[in-house]
Amino acid sequence: MEAWGFVSLAYGIVWGAILVYLILLKRRYMNAAAELDTLKSKEAASDAKK
Amino acid sequence: MIQSSLQTKKRRGILGALAFTAVAIGLFWSLAIAPPDAYQGDVQRIMYLHLPSILTAYLSYFLVFVGSALYLWKREKRDDLLAHSAAEIGVLFTALTIIEGSIWGRPTWGVWWTWDARLTLTAILLLIYVGYLMLRSLVEDENRAASAAAVLGIIGFLDIPLIHMSVYWWRTLHQPPSILRPDKVPWENVHPSMLTALAISFAGFLLLYFYLLSLRYRLGEMREEIKARRLDRGW
Amino acid sequence: MALLRETYLLLWKDLLLELRRRDSLLTMFFFGTLLLFVFHFSFDPAPEKVAAMAPALLWLAFLFTGTLGLAQLFHAERENHCLDALLLSPLDRGALFLAKSCFNLVLMVLVEIVVIPLFWILFNLRSWNLLPQLFLVTLLGTVGFCVLGTITSAITLRARARELLLPLVLFPLMIPVILATIRCMENVLRTGEFGDAIPWLRLLIGFDVIFLTVGVLIFDWVIES
Repeated sequence: MEAWGFVSLAYGIVWGAILVYLILLKRRYMNAAAELDTLKSKEAASDAKK
Repeated sequence: MIQSSLQTKKRRGILGALAFTAVAIGLFWSLAIAPPDAYQGDVQRIMYLHLPSILTAYLSYFLVFVGSALYLWKREKRDDLLAHSAAEIGVLFTALTIIEGSIWGRPTWGVWWTWDARLTLTAILLLIYVGYLMLRSLVEDENRAASAAAVLGIIGFLDIPLIHMSVYWWRTLHQPPSILRPDKVPWENVHPSMLTALAISFAGFLLLYFYLLSLRYRLGEMREEIKARRLDRGW
Repeated sequence: MALLRETYLLLWKDLLLELRRRDSLLTMFFFGTLLLFVFHFSFDPAPEKVAAMAPALLWLAFLFTGTLGLAQLFHAERENHCLDALLLSPLDRGALFLAKSCFNLVLMVLVEIVVIPLFWILFNLRSWNLLPQLFLVTLLGTVGFCVLGTITSAITLRARARELLLPLVLFPLMIPVILATIRCMENVLRTGEFGDAIPWLRLLIGFDVIFLTVGVLIFDWVIES
């Protein structure tokens, strides 16, 4: 492999992995935020009933 | 409560934007502006990834240590969250450091892996903190998991200097002095724009690290809140 | 000092229990010997090479045997809520740490006293005169193992897949000890004295002192009911 081959391999893997982690993290984040919102509205609803 | 969380969100957004900018400029500088190294050629550009990666990894483990110590002392969930988040991101950056080191090593030393001090050390670090994450996920009770992990977080960090010493001695005792040590970068021929590339890359990685950390931390906070609310209502 | 007295009491209890049934001791001893056999078949070393490989093989055997002992370390406390009882008592948890470490140390030393000469016999080694120095290095290494091992054993007490998790967590932390003991022993076998290996010896002692202290201080938070 040429020098730039190795460089692109390294940069590709690194930034690819960071991107993947970021996407997965965002997804977990969105799921948790959605769940939290649902919980909060559920609480508001049941509080309103009382 | 709502006020502060909106504020934090905004700040995090700014941090993210800054990180993106620094990383982008760093990439451009590392790949296009900085000249190739006199000895190593273009392969040396991997160092603009490698050095910041290892720095952020060590920073991470220091934060794990701080979070762990604070947690054992004060028992506040946020310290445990800090430790856990830092460990997760630390493992990511450590793994990347090893991969970068290995790829750099192939054209430089001719092999994908060598048991030189740096690579070996990084691999050991990875093992320790992967163990940390496994411990967390395998202990059933939340609080026990946090305490157990905190103890490991402290012990692991205290062990690092000892591991450093033993691995470096092991490696230097076995190297015949006549062999060229290609991991000693000759700094005489360093072009100033190379230093700039390194500096910007450092900045980019650091900002990115704190952005990821704050995201992960917030995720942990939300999960805690979900648990607490569920418990409150018995849902 | 109260700490030492409490340690002694707890240690005596464990030793007494072990003396009566000898489960752990015998298992560890036979396992260590078995490993020697397996190593001999696996490596099939030529006579000239044995002395060079001896420290590494011995230490591998002790690592795995010791891990067996560690997995059993808190077994006695599992039944009848003994652990809770211990924790509720006014005993210093640092004493519990010291007692458990010492207990494992005693078990391992007893095994080593038999296994090392056995190794010398099985592998036809001549350097019997060097055994005292080798024992010293082994002892220092075993102390490090027991100290870190007790902490690790305690924090993984309630984990799933505990038998796998314990070595996974412990072994990377043990690397300084592994390197130091094996390099020391290699040097002794090669030159007949410690000589160049003195820095390794110092590292070992430093390791032991550091984690002994940390263990005593931190054990309060390690074991919770």
